[in-house]
Amino acid sequence: MPQSSSSSKKHGTDQPDTGGPASKSQRTKMVKSSDDTEKKNLAKKLKELEISVPIVYGNIAFWLGKKASEYQSHKWTVYVRGGTNEDISVVVKRVVFQLHSSFNNPTRVVDGPPFELSESGWGEFEIVITLHFHNDVCEKPLHLYHHLKLYPEEDSGPMSTKKPVVVESYDEIVFTEPSEGFFSRVQNHPAVVVPRLPAGFALPPPVPLEDADKRRRGDTKDHTLSQWFSNFSEADELLKLAAARQQVQAHIATLRRQLSLIDGQHQQLKSASDILVHLR
Amino acid sequence: MDAKDILLGLPKPTTTPTPLGHQLLPLPADKKSRPPKESQRKPDGISREVYALTGGLAPLMPSVDVNHLKRRAQSENEKITWQWLPFTSSARKDNLQLYHWVRVVNGVPPSGDYSFAKYNKSVDVIKYTDDEYEKHLTDPMWTKEETDELFDLCERFDLRFIVIADRFPTSRTVEELKSRYYSVCRAILIARAPAPGDIAGHPLVKDPYNISQDVERKRALSMVLSQTKQQERRDAEVLAEAKRISEARKAAKGTDELEVPAMTDTVPDDNDGAAAAVDSLSPSPNAQFTSGAIAPPVSEIASTLASLRMMRVYLRTHALEQMVQAASSSAGLRTIKRVEQTLQDLGVNLKPKVPTKAVCAEHLELRKEILILLNLQKQLQYKEAEGSSYRDGLYAETPGTPPKRVQRAVEQDRTFVPDSFSFGGERMGKRDQKRKAPGRLLEGPPSPAQSKRPRKFKASDG
Repeated sequence: MPQSSSSSKKHGTDQPDTGGPASKSQRTKMVKSSDDTEKKNLAKKLKELEISVPIVYGNIAFWLGKKASEYQSHKWTVYVRGGTNEDISVVVKRVVFQLHSSFNNPTRVVDGPPFELSESGWGEFEIVITLHFHNDVCEKPLHLYHHLKLYPEEDSGPMSTKKPVVVESYDEIVFTEPSEGFFSRVQNHPAVVVPRLPAGFALPPPVPLEDADKRRRGDTKDHTLSQWFSNFSEADELLKLAAARQQVQAHIATLRRQLSLIDGQHQQLKSASDILVHLR
Repeated sequence: MDAKDILLGLPKPTTTPTPLGHQLLPLPADKKSRPPKESQRKPDGISREVYALTGGLAPLMPSVDVNHLKRRAQSENEKITWQWLPFTSSARKDNLQLYHWVRVVNGVPPSGDYSFAKYNKSVDVIKYTDDEYEKHLTDPMWTKEETDELFDLCERFDLRFIVIADRFPTSRTVEELKSRYYSVCRAILIARAPAPGDIAGHPLVKDPYNISQDVERKRALSMVLSQTKQQERRDAEVLAEAKRISEARKAAKGTDELEVPAMTDTVPDDNDGAAAAVDSLSPSPNAQFTSGAIAPPVSEIASTLASLRMMRVYLRTHALEQMVQAASSSAGLRTIKRVEQTLQDLGVNLKPKVPTKAVCAEHLELRKEILILLNLQKQLQYKEAEGSSYRDGLYAETPGTPPKRVQRAVEQDRTFVPDSFSFGGERMGKRDQKRKAPGRLLEGPPSPAQSKRPRKFKASDG
């Protein structure tokens, strides 16, 4: 209630409908109970929503050229980054990269952004990337599988130390039934795709856990390797899919017409044969 | 020497007279067909009959190593005799003198109690004093005489309550007797215990006999035992149905396909949840579904959605994989391959390169539509084949009439050929060009019922 009106009412007698102290407490009581049902509805709505975090994971590998030895021919970096290079540490607590057993300490844990690991070697193998999330996000870890690629395709000419081999995969982490805390914490974060709450529902503004500076450092927009990052745009794929669907739908319509025509024909034939049978 | 040796070992009695005449001796001449070897050779160590059991041949290898057999201990240096001797048993309270065979070693009979005496066990039935009875054990349903009698019987028959019930003077059920016995024991136990804590762990104190439970249990047991085969089957069916319903309820929360009876009360909440989830995944609600072929996967899709939701966190590519699987659950491997071929022809990646929510949704819808397309193509094929068989019949009856023919799709494996469908009354000419769908057509004159009968449609090939 705005300050002025309440102070003006202090002098006068209580007027129930315009909100003296007595009715204020009444109203608070009413608000509280509708608050509860609102809370329940909110919780229910939250259960049906999903929060998604687009990510890109993969590796960049540089041939060492002259400096290459038999066992260290490439220098490579495997990483997980936000889909639009935003900081995913808002959701991801740490990342574990499980390397080939021939590496020393093949289980590498990265506790903060940027979630990457650099090594040198000669072999290609599958790396298991395990994402561990913050406690209010999800208790189960998520596994990604990436095949480390060092050597370029056959037809791409001689190897160069300047141009790396880059293999990236785009995916989205989907969190179902997000908790209120999680939701409110990330609802305005650029790395997270949060659906809009239906009209009437609102969550309290989030308590920022980290200050803006810290957040800036976690993103990969100015990463040293960012020039090699691929651009994933869904527009192309959507266009292709839409075109394909159109074609298929048109085809379906044609077939349906044909089928109904044939049905009509069969009807004619049937009556014809009936007549013939009678004529015999 | 055994019987056969005696019988057959003798020379042929041609003219030799015997006391009883010629014919009494079996002539070896009759048995010439049998190889003489067998009768002549008699194995040592075992009788002929036992040897014959082996099939007439000695085993190549001994089946049991003789060394493995136990040797009778000291069977050489001792003299064993068996004697009929009297014995006593500590288990007997009377002085009855019984006799039995005893193995005597070197003139010394065995010592010790009768070997079976140790099995003479009995139950320690408690004995209460009259005083105790007055103080703790009185019961409106039981007189003192009855209780005493019960305990006496219990002692005599080692708590075999069925026997006791039989012998009990007044008619009491086994459960009543048990109840009285155990409650008396319990009361005595509690009364005699120096401190309640001492016997708190005693089974009688912890879990006293519950007569109504026992009665119920026995009734249920007898019911189960006396169930007819039909009842058993019905029970199994009901249980399976209940299991199915609870699983369906868990997996496909709230879809309309559920035929759960009104006993569930959580359906309204789940309805919203599943509906919202379905909406969020497929932005285009107006896919053209043919009724028969696509309906089955709906429950698969719903259960996949539910299980994804339960995972709490997953990758969108994984979700798409699962949904594609669910949507094609009613399709065979060949159909799935055809769907993939179609996707490739359309220039679409089998797995989207940028799997955002929208892209995945579109991809899924596209796959579903391709399935519909393939179904329709098959339907068309069938209908055309049907039609031509019609015409065959017609043609046979009226040779003069040129039949109208529909040009059919030539391809069977390449599905996406937009130009192949031309429509019109073009005459194909020769009958042999008509292609029959494998094994599905009926030969001979068409019956009128054919066209009316709805063709059962399978999405899978073959």
